[in-house]
Amino acid sequence: MPGSSVPRTGAPGQRPGPPAGPVQSDTWLEMRGITKVYPDGTRALDKVDLAAAKGEIHGLLGENGAGKSTLMKILSGILPMTSGRILIGGREIALRNTNDALAHGIGMVHQHYSLVPTFTALDNILLGRGAPLSGPARSAARARIKRLMDDTGLYVPLDVPIEQLPIGTRQRAEILKTLDRNVSLLILDEPTAVLTPQETEQLFQVLRTLSRGGTTIILITHKLPEVLALTHRVTVLRHGRVVGTRPTAGATAQDLARMMVGAERLPAVKERRPQAIVEPVLRVAELTVLGDGGTPAVRNVTFEVSRGEIFAIAGVTGNGQTELIEALTGLRPAASGYAYLLGQPITGVNPRKLYEMGLAHIPEDRHRLGMVAQLSIMENSILGVHFQPRFRRAMPGTLHWGRVRKYARDVVRRFNVITPSLRTPMRSLSGGNQQKLVVGRELSKSPALVVAGQPTRGLDVAAAATIRDLLMDMRNEGRAVLLVSADLDEVLALADRIAVMYEGEIRAVLERGQFDRERIGLLMGGVGDGPAAG
Amino acid sequence: MLFSSLLLGALHAMVPLTMTATGEILSERAGVVNIGLEGILLLSAFGAVVGAEAGGPLAGLVVGLGVGAILGLIHGVIAVYFRGDQIISGVGINILALGLVAIGIVWQWGVAGFHQVDRALRIPHLVTPLGSMSPMVIVTVLLAALTYYLIHHTNLGLQIQAVGENPAAADAAGVRVERVRLFGAVYAGALAGLAGAYLSIDWLATITRNLPAGRGFIALATVVFSRLNPFLAVVGGLIFGFFDGLGLLASTSREITQVVPYQFIQMLPYVVTLLVVTGVIGRARFPAASGQPYRRE
Repeated sequence: MPGSSVPRTGAPGQRPGPPAGPVQSDTWLEMRGITKVYPDGTRALDKVDLAAAKGEIHGLLGENGAGKSTLMKILSGILPMTSGRILIGGREIALRNTNDALAHGIGMVHQHYSLVPTFTALDNILLGRGAPLSGPARSAARARIKRLMDDTGLYVPLDVPIEQLPIGTRQRAEILKTLDRNVSLLILDEPTAVLTPQETEQLFQVLRTLSRGGTTIILITHKLPEVLALTHRVTVLRHGRVVGTRPTAGATAQDLARMMVGAERLPAVKERRPQAIVEPVLRVAELTVLGDGGTPAVRNVTFEVSRGEIFAIAGVTGNGQTELIEALTGLRPAASGYAYLLGQPITGVNPRKLYEMGLAHIPEDRHRLGMVAQLSIMENSILGVHFQPRFRRAMPGTLHWGRVRKYARDVVRRFNVITPSLRTPMRSLSGGNQQKLVVGRELSKSPALVVAGQPTRGLDVAAAATIRDLLMDMRNEGRAVLLVSADLDEVLALADRIAVMYEGEIRAVLERGQFDRERIGLLMGGVGDGPAAG
Repeated sequence: MLFSSLLLGALHAMVPLTMTATGEILSERAGVVNIGLEGILLLSAFGAVVGAEAGGPLAGLVVGLGVGAILGLIHGVIAVYFRGDQIISGVGINILALGLVAIGIVWQWGVAGFHQVDRALRIPHLVTPLGSMSPMVIVTVLLAALTYYLIHHTNLGLQIQAVGENPAAADAAGVRVERVRLFGAVYAGALAGLAGAYLSIDWLATITRNLPAGRGFIALATVVFSRLNPFLAVVGGLIFGFFDGLGLLASTSREITQVVPYQFIQMLPYVVTLLVVTGVIGRARFPAASGQPYRRE
């Protein structure tokens, strides 16, 4: 390969594992005491230190909200830091925007690619590089990119619009685009989330090649096998702090899982009353659901939720939980398989029909699906039940506001929603009170099954405790509760049974009494049991 | 004879539609939609007359272009930097123009609503086999070709398309999203300004309170028809212009107006516009971020 600065992709049959060859141990990149406080007071990062050598592949591991992406957005110039220092080769650098970062050789490949879908790969790569769309300069640029493809093994058809290429190829185009900026530090945010296993292995080969050529790589991930297969060292973050940095060679999946999930801090919940009758309310059998990209997001999932039970689905977000909820609540079609509510099929059924069949849905994204922010408390309190005859006047299509007000007042009182008046627009309430109203409205439907998606996410401690108690009340009243939560402590405190979802599969179902935090942490990270039926 | 005067009529009627549409195509490619084109045509038509009376036809063209560019800049700043609603801003320009020009005509010439432009102040025409033709016909086609080249064969064009399709990606690639979009808005304003000047100091040779008579909106229809391709804007401008010219010709012909009331003939260009656009609109593909402000996270 004449003119190559980087050796060609590793020989076929090379075993996965940390790249061979010495990695200089001297620190090249250093982040010191990085703190990020958002305008609303959230402390996303607290005095985080991170260091990497030239050619090192460094894993950045942590649960949702641990601060991984925030830290890397700071390093790539997207977010300003509140305090801290960034040094490269011992010299402090200032990063005001992505151009500053690129000028220092720092480039980031995001989960959502920064590609213009109607452009070809070549145009996407050349965008912002000042190369014209035609003429000899373009030919030169094309030759340069062909050389880069040969050097790295990142082959991409250059003249096809990006929107017509498979997702793995788009990612390669995105990486090429970044490398074409002469990047010496490549940051990848969950790069394998959307890839097939074959594409993942190809990507790893490329990353090893780049690493041997001296490119430093930071890999944001929550997948333990990837960390073990690819990285030299790993830094674990939790709640915006560094738990520790370890050489991968000596680490085990158990160590990393323990660092990632941390010690137990279970929230207190109401008493769990014994339930005598076991009777399935929701039965899901071999259900497969496609994600937005058209690939399966939920794979062949089977479980039952009984009355008087909280069945919790644990897992890092993005492993199919959202698509599962949507398929069960009428918001997304199922590709194959079955779901029954009290014996009746519910896949592909209109949400309103589902409510009449006994479903209550506390949506994951309450701002988008749970409420209309501009409407008042009163109006929001009847969304989804507004068609019932009790809110109607004799004249068709007219609402009986007096009865609506009475109903809303009742919901507000029973669920302790703090609001200046019933006419207050929903958006003026705090997140906790909004959620109490949404939960109150749903639970007032006397449902047989409650589907709750991330019901306490973003809420203050008191509101979260109220919501958890309400879910426990539902269970104790003999209703079935399907809880989907990325908060492991919440799941451990509330659930009667826990199913761990990873890459669209239920990897294991654990009964209360055999809950094992470390084992669940491993399962969430993709280590341990294969697909399981609950 | 009839054929050549119909063709010439269509070419002359094509100019304001295609020229305005060409600028708007570039602007919409960059993600800025301006429905205030009608107002820009009117204000720049007025400005061009004032300019021409002060310094001759060339000065008139320059003033028209300048007025258009300034209005485009105002719309661009509102849409891009203040992330204002582009529809509201465009409507605002239309209403502003109606009021300003109505007052302006009285203030400038002491008459209400109508002022004839002196023959000497009009843009000199070329002698062609078809008859006397405005040089602006050629300028329009050249501008369409230039704009096509700009969009599809230059680095700026790549940036324009990128900020219209995916501003976040363009931003990540180091493109100054706001500047590129502002350029688009000013470009659209300037071309509409030139078209406005053509209306008042060339083709129609008057200034009235409603000189463009909806041509700014038909230009928007031409943009849809063209699917953002300037060459198709020439074709669209000719189709719409043909009926516009036909309407003008027929409504002044006594033989025709005795059979069909001229009001019906004058409806022709608008009815044709509606029909053509209804047929085309579903198939047009517009930039994904068109009309949407860009906000960095």
